[in-house]
Amino acid sequence: MNKEWGKLIVAALFEVGWVIGLKHADSWLDWSGTLIAIYISFHLLIASGKKLPVGTAYAVFTGLGTAGTVLAEILLFGVPFQWSKILLILFLLSGIIGLKVLTDSHDKKEGETA
Amino acid sequence: MSWIILIAAGLFEMFGVTMINQYHKSRSVTALIAMLLGFALSFVCLSIAMKELPMGTAYAVWTGTGAAGGAILGMIYFDEPAEWKRLVCIGIIITAAVGLKLIS
Repeated sequence: MNKEWGKLIVAALFEVGWVIGLKHADSWLDWSGTLIAIYISFHLLIASGKKLPVGTAYAVFTGLGTAGTVLAEILLFGVPFQWSKILLILFLLSGIIGLKVLTDSHDKKEGETA
Repeated sequence: MSWIILIAAGLFEMFGVTMINQYHKSRSVTALIAMLLGFALSFVCLSIAMKELPMGTAYAVWTGTGAAGGAILGMIYFDEPAEWKRLVCIGIIITAAVGLKLIS
């Protein structure tokens, strides 16, 4: 199960990559990198849905992608730092960690009865 | 008009997420193509809507409808677990993502 969550996190990292690409790419090299990132992120998202509920995986994927993009804009592109953004990111991560803990304990219960 | 296109973008996104589910169930190429089409149409509609609407607002509504709708459809049609604790967590993620997109 942890492997599936790992795939989701990597998918979200590549999502951040292609969102930045869509905004900033201006050469054919940038654009091909962006397309490859889109492919990898969706491939991993779909793969993680084999074991995780797809609705959950998609919410985590967009959520982490959003948080990552906001952080990248602050760290790499000089967008002004705002506490409200950091607080929302922490709030978002708490939702994701909650989902992961719930999903793991759900599996354990199923394993015991099986 | 932009709002109608934006809602269409959200619906196409929900359709795409549902087709990921369908693909896992049936392994059919049709589902894979339907999924690609759904996400492609969704992106096209989103970019048209963003020409008139503020980008942050458009993005926020789009993420919210897609993620919430995808999760709800999964619970209704694909037996995804729907305990209240999971719903709260998904709600937290969507609220935070929408908030981030509104203030960025």
